[in-house]
Amino acid sequence: MNQNIDLLTLRSVSKSYGTVPVLHDIDLSIRDGEFLTVLGPSGSGKTTVLRLIGGLEPLTAGEIRLDGQDISRMPINKRPFNTVFQDYALFPHMTVSGNVGYGLSVRHIKRKEIASRVSQALELVQLGRFAERFPAQLSGGQRQRVALARALICQPRLILLDEPLAALDLELRRQMQEFLKSIQREIKTTFLFVTHDQEEAIGMADRICVMQAGHIRQLGTPHELYYKPNCEFVARFFGENNLVAGKLGPVQGEQRPIETALGRLVCSICDQPHLKTAPDGVSAFAAFRPEALHLADAKDGANRFSGTITDLAFAGSSTVATIMAGANDAAQRLRLRMPSRIDGSALKSGEMVSLCFAPHEGHLVLA
Amino acid sequence: MSRAGSTHSAEGRLSQLVTVLAFALPVIFVLVPLAIFLVYSFFGVDQGTIVYAPTLSNYVRFFTDPIFLPVFWNTIVLCVSVAVICILLAYPAAYFLTTLKGRWRYALLMLLLVPLLMSYVIKIYAIRSILGLNGFLNKALVALGILDQPSTLFVFNMNAILLTLSLLLIPFAILPIFLSLERIPQTLLRASDDLGASSLQTFLRITLPLSLPGVASAASFVFVLAIGDFLTPQMVGGISGFTFGRILYSQFGTAYNWPFGAALSVALAIVVICAILVGERFGRSRGTSV
Repeated sequence: MNQNIDLLTLRSVSKSYGTVPVLHDIDLSIRDGEFLTVLGPSGSGKTTVLRLIGGLEPLTAGEIRLDGQDISRMPINKRPFNTVFQDYALFPHMTVSGNVGYGLSVRHIKRKEIASRVSQALELVQLGRFAERFPAQLSGGQRQRVALARALICQPRLILLDEPLAALDLELRRQMQEFLKSIQREIKTTFLFVTHDQEEAIGMADRICVMQAGHIRQLGTPHELYYKPNCEFVARFFGENNLVAGKLGPVQGEQRPIETALGRLVCSICDQPHLKTAPDGVSAFAAFRPEALHLADAKDGANRFSGTITDLAFAGSSTVATIMAGANDAAQRLRLRMPSRIDGSALKSGEMVSLCFAPHEGHLVLA
Repeated sequence: MSRAGSTHSAEGRLSQLVTVLAFALPVIFVLVPLAIFLVYSFFGVDQGTIVYAPTLSNYVRFFTDPIFLPVFWNTIVLCVSVAVICILLAYPAAYFLTTLKGRWRYALLMLLLVPLLMSYVIKIYAIRSILGLNGFLNKALVALGILDQPSTLFVFNMNAILLTLSLLLIPFAILPIFLSLERIPQTLLRASDDLGASSLQTFLRITLPLSLPGVASAASFVFVLAIGDFLTPQMVGGISGFTFGRILYSQFGTAYNWPFGAALSVALAIVVICAILVGERFGRSRGTSV
């Protein structure tokens, strides 16, 4: 188990259904033992990636390598991967232990060993008491855990999870997220988790692969994706963000200004060489998170502009203000998030305020 | 407002009428005739006229006369055999249908069901000419060198009835099996593959058990239709192919003994009801299925 070793590599993988392309030239490396989340809106091709790896569908072009060996043509039942399906796909005519032991019994493993491994797996997912129930007698969360136990009992190299939490309600989903993460830590198996829910992705993943329209847009840790999105799509899709369009100015060390409708905004370009090398005058966006935006006071110099509060929304621990900033003909809608206060917000709807964000909290994305 | 109210009550009356009809029609056309049969089975006959005095003599005769019980039993065996043959032939056909894609699947299904649109009598005649001593089957077997001379093995006897009923009833077996196979979610089969099962293991452990309800329905359909048939035995059974249906028919026809015919009908009805109940019991996918 070494997180720096690639377990599985996709090389220029493409997939079309008939003449409709769904994946374009995907390159992706999955490291041994990591929790990798593939995140994207519906139709982005994320489930297709999983189905190709699992062997549920053939590739149109490219190759998939496991430990350096090409497994693109390996039949589904020979691949050392197991899938947790979106609708669980539990066998309705088998009990919980029948379902969980299925992968072992088709390999002709001795009954005794199957029984002991099934009870181990059921203990792991905390379903020991339910061994003799049928799937229809279980709740959604329990079925989910049966599906997980069934997938991990064969000790696969990789467990593929296809939006497994989509059918659960919010509270249960939170519990299952923690549960999945803790199981993954315990059995140290590589998880490939597909979801459209970015909160889910942030909460569980070691790395996230953001997909859109059949392309991988960015691959990185949740932190990297949040603070250094490499394109407009990721900046907008991943978490709430303020994007202001403009033209890049000349590089100033680790920062670079951008001329926008809100004036000159200076943003960090730390560790992002492509932003350093982009020529002056190129279209780009200044991006800053709602929590980075705050009311300006006298000592704030850079990235200062004024706006009118149009709406205030109390969201429990924080309060979100919607602000129209800049001149009327080029007004920008921005969001500002700040901690809520028991005596009410310091802001009032309709109020004109002066705002700013620190240069190191702003970033740039090329348009 | 009042207009809306009146259309509402008219609609209400219509739906009441439909509800009443839905209950009344089966009662009038199914339950009442059955009840009349049951009542008649307790009457007697004296010189061609029915004696309306309750008696158990019909049932006593059925159980004591050495003719009826063996024929009754042979007929049940025959019809079980027909059901088994139909299932064995229909299952592969239905399975093959589900492997087809889109249009082809339903086009072929329609082709398999076309015989249902043809007249029963014409089909029996057609099969009879195939099975005859100089029929197509014998000629083909001789031509192929399998037989030296035409065989009487399937000419006007029990075997002929068996073959004919099987051929006639196969569509009734294909349909429920096809439907139950088609209802199996594809992801279950993919999950089985994914867990390392071979295609044969997936078939034996997932597809087959999940399609058994369809098989049970098919078997009870075919059995019930076969056991109630008197026309086929009459036309292809000759003298040796004597079935319970033919005895029953003769009681209402030539013998003109309606009360005894009714008693035999009741015996048959009990078997049919049992077959339907068994089919229903196993035909329901388990209460546990999702």
